Amino acid sequence: MNYKRWFTDYAPMILIWLGLVLLFGILSDNFVTSRTLATLASQVPPLAIIACGMTLVLIIAGIDLSVGSTLALASAMLGVALVDWEFPLILAIVVAVITGGLTGLFNGAISVYLRIPSFIVTLGTLEIARGLAYLATDSQTKYLGVALEPMARPLPGLGVPISFLIAVVVIIIGQFILTRTTYGRYLIAIGTNESAVRLAGVPTARKKISVFAITGLLTGLAAVFFTSRLGSADPNAGVGMELSAIAAVVIGGTSLMGGRGSIINSFIGVLIIATLGAGLAQIGASEPSKRVVTGLVIVLAVTIDALRGGFFQKLKMRFKTGTL
Amino acid sequence: MSEPLPSVLTVNRLNKAYNVPVLKDFDFDLRKGEVHALIGSNGAGKSTFAKILTGLTPRNSGEILFQGTPFKPSNKQEASAAGINMVLQELNVIPTLTVGENLFLHTLPHHKGIIARKELHQLSKQALTRLGLNELNPDQLADTLGVGQQQLVEIAGALAQNSSILILDEPTAALTGPEIERLFENIQRLREEGVAMIYISHRMDEIFRIADRVTVLRDGHRINTHDTDGVSMDTLVHEMAGDELAERHPHLEIQHRGPGLTVKNLTAKPAVNDVSFSVQKGEILGIAGLIGAGRTETLRAIFGADPKQSGTVFIGDETTPLSISSPTDAVKAGIGLIPEDRKQDGLLLNKSVSLNTTLSTLERFSKSGLIDHRKEFDATVATTDKLELKYDSVEQSVDELSGGNQQKVVMGRWLLCDSPVLLFDEPTRGIDVAAKETIYNALDQLAREGKTLVVVSSDLLELMSISHRILVMSAGKIAGEFTPDDWSQEAITAAAFSEYISTHERAQ
Amino acid sequence: MKKHFKLLLQTTTCTALSLLLIACGQSKSDKTSTETAEKPVIALIMKSLANEFFKTMGEGAEMHHAENPDQYDLIVNGIKNESDVSAQVDMVEQMMSRGVDAIVIAPADSKALIPILKRASDAGVLVINIDNKLDSDILKELNLNLPFVGPNNRDGARMVGEVVAQQLQANDEVAIIEGITTTFNAIQRRLGFEDAMQAGGVKVVSKQSGYWEMEPANNVASAMLNEHENLKALLCANDSMALGAVAAVRAAGLEEKVLVAGFDNISAVRPLILNGQMIATADQHGDQLAAFGIQAALDILSGGEQPKDQQTVVDLITQETLNQ
Repeated sequence: MNYKRWFTDYAPMILIWLGLVLLFGILSDNFVTSRTLATLASQVPPLAIIACGMTLVLIIAGIDLSVGSTLALASAMLGVALVDWEFPLILAIVVAVITGGLTGLFNGAISVYLRIPSFIVTLGTLEIARGLAYLATDSQTKYLGVALEPMARPLPGLGVPISFLIAVVVIIIGQFILTRTTYGRYLIAIGTNESAVRLAGVPTARKKISVFAITGLLTGLAAVFFTSRLGSADPNAGVGMELSAIAAVVIGGTSLMGGRGSIINSFIGVLIIATLGAGLAQIGASEPSKRVVTGLVIVLAVTIDALRGGFFQKLKMRFKTGTL
Repeated sequence: MSEPLPSVLTVNRLNKAYNVPVLKDFDFDLRKGEVHALIGSNGAGKSTFAKILTGLTPRNSGEILFQGTPFKPSNKQEASAAGINMVLQELNVIPTLTVGENLFLHTLPHHKGIIARKELHQLSKQALTRLGLNELNPDQLADTLGVGQQQLVEIAGALAQNSSILILDEPTAALTGPEIERLFENIQRLREEGVAMIYISHRMDEIFRIADRVTVLRDGHRINTHDTDGVSMDTLVHEMAGDELAERHPHLEIQHRGPGLTVKNLTAKPAVNDVSFSVQKGEILGIAGLIGAGRTETLRAIFGADPKQSGTVFIGDETTPLSISSPTDAVKAGIGLIPEDRKQDGLLLNKSVSLNTTLSTLERFSKSGLIDHRKEFDATVATTDKLELKYDSVEQSVDELSGGNQQKVVMGRWLLCDSPVLLFDEPTRGIDVAAKETIYNALDQLAREGKTLVVVSSDLLELMSISHRILVMSAGKIAGEFTPDDWSQEAITAAAFSEYISTHERAQ
Repeated sequence: MKKHFKLLLQTTTCTALSLLLIACGQSKSDKTSTETAEKPVIALIMKSLANEFFKTMGEGAEMHHAENPDQYDLIVNGIKNESDVSAQVDMVEQMMSRGVDAIVIAPADSKALIPILKRASDAGVLVINIDNKLDSDILKELNLNLPFVGPNNRDGARMVGEVVAQQLQANDEVAIIEGITTTFNAIQRRLGFEDAMQAGGVKVVSKQSGYWEMEPANNVASAMLNEHENLKALLCANDSMALGAVAAVRAAGLEEKVLVAGFDNISAVRPLILNGQMIATADQHGDQLAAFGIQAALDILSGGEQPKDQQTVVDLITQETLNQ
């Protein structure tokens, strides 16, 4: 990938993020500090990992509204496995990830085989998974103590927790799969025009189901980091997280109509949302202004992305014709 | 019919072009209380004329005098208010509304915005009774009706307007014998009331039964207008077909290299009924027929894109029938389809030339799931060069290409696939003359390489210039087979109409 | 045919699922609601039954009923989402049309529920207000007497705050993590914390909402710790938010420096109080709150009592009280 391409693809989003960091840096003396950055690094992994799956789902022109509830269910299962079943940590993590994967598989299979729009299926799963999370925990927050602590602790010398490193790896792998593999190519193609892909002889059902299953697995993984950061499994966790994830992905320029998207830009979208949240809290912004500002930034970022098509295309053309 | 009635509509030198001209200096006149049939092959311009009259599309030039004054409706409501209504070929009944609401969709009786149910019920009952549809309840939902009944409701809706001109576009396509009789009784009654009707149909027997005059259209021109009493079927078919001679494309004789594709007893309801044919390797088989005759559906059923009720398909000799239940199976078996609507079914429009070209063969340019972009690039360039495809770079998105080049991208996909059997559905629709020529050359080249080609086209001259043999489909059946020695436009056109005559006779 | 079959399958699956869920949901309340003419019917309307606090409250009510089965019939209801006011309004309407004698309600909003409760009261239904006190100004204006049975949240919060203040010096800095700022309890608890801080001369440098939930509270707490380096305590309006705050303190490595206090005494915080990660919480005996309300309703219905407010006890929970 050459630097021009890199420039047009990622620069606008990164600039928005840096702009926010700068803005809060001016407004607060303590924002641009290693402590704040370390806090952000520990906050973003769950949403970043979910946004990775959500990007894939939106690329195939689907949507997954159940991720918040799935996160709560996987988190609940992690708590149950650790506390009630007394599983070792690794096994408990596997239980959580598989719980997420099965939920995703359910979404995908129902939506593809029964041809129900994923919006409706996952809206149903949003309720089902939340209910199951309450059942699994008996509606009680489970305190997990120090069992998960190592995963939340910053790594010595790096200042970021392992969850952040894993999230970055997931995102790089995700972007690689999307741009370099046949699987990623097919997902983009399916999202662009499924009918044409089918008539080109490419089977689509399993690929679509797999995207939902992957999103579920990633949500399960996100639940592990989410739970480890809070030290507790809360059946009320992740309420509204689907909207944060969709917002981050859309800020990153992924099309709700399918066929277009970038996982790296989704990650920057997550950074923007998290930075905004942390910054507004740090400057002690009032509740109403927090909401208004967050909404404005989402609209602004999406507008810039929409303009990018025109403005940066022109820039690209000028590169080509040598007038720049 | 002793003396000519006064004209209600006079059309002078009407022109209309979308990308290509569809109406050329078209003249027409319609008299009060007559049924005037409009006939012609696909794309002759009949429906376009009806759309201009009803305000659905604007004309480019020409004059329409309606009751002596210039008439230029800018939308359907305006035409309807003036007294010109149309029953469309496609069903326009809204299934979730009641029969009554459908009948009076644009003129719902209301009091301050609230629908006057009682009034609507009465009006609807009257409208239905007029058409003898006493058994229908105006309050039942339209989707509880059969297709024929829905069509009748639509006709009743048009009749309920106070029309001075009523256009009927293939009104009997979905009707059964008794329903047709009922429609004809109504047409008779309207004629007596002085309503002028334009009757568009493929069904010649109907035209001879109810039309007073008939105008033949071909390629946007009015060829002739006859009193129905004084004209023969042969004359009409001859006029529709024209006597232009197909310019024979200079291709070689088929080198018979054994059986290519064999299709036996293919039925895919409702469009395809017991179709059998076979094609040699190196042969181009053309399939002609009217729109709706089941040609596209035949190709799609062979390809596994639509379900079929019965039928076996063989490639090569007839030892093992292929089991094809999806396009994936078909591609594996060695069949490729170039679909009719390339934007909807063929291309990923905002994606690159290379992505579109390698879509079916991506696995070949990848190693354990990783795409080898270099290999993909080389293959795309090689294929597109072979087809003389013009583009800036393989990364250019295909929606920036012309129609002809877009079609070549889809063809390139199957060239890469090396499928021995290729099914083309209207390969040159909407493509300029020069690009057509390169597509013909490509078809020739493929045939010479020993591939088996089936080409569906509505352009008879085109089919006659590129095919080794032409099958004609009519109402879902094979209605004729022609070789260059015995084909003529007239004979093929007659065959294309044949089943529509006989099905109606059977229904009687 | 195939299409029809699929449709049929879809519909049956959906119907079966929903019936199953309805059956699960209703079995509990139906069992206890065999209505007879002479016994009064009391409806208990709570907030989210998924919230541990309200769940134990419901269980307390059912236990009370089990002990006095001859005196009344009980219908227990909850809403899905704590802030879903309209769902609670619908529920009051349902109970009215069912002809109950008394409604014992924990209102989701201290103002929005008043109109419907006025209608109930006008219709002759006895309304007892528990947990979250209805706005007394509006009640006065409407000349409405809806007895409140419950704890004084402000006193409870003051008690917790005093324990914190004792550990601090004058001019030390603390921050408050509020509940949803429009609710009466959130306001009362914040006021109680502020009362205690003012009395001890301690400065409140930041007040922000954690939406009663763990993860939002964790994010806010992290931001507060980053912004205010000398923060000595985080006062949280409920225990879920306190769990989030504890995680933030631990992530920042400030366990020795920053105190965390909560409210409600949910089971998950007990180990934290015992090991010193939390300093105090308040127990307002939520499990008995509904039972108190029901008893008050019975007393009034039988004519033995006049309708008036009753205050219930709030206990302070610290390491010391738990060890007793």
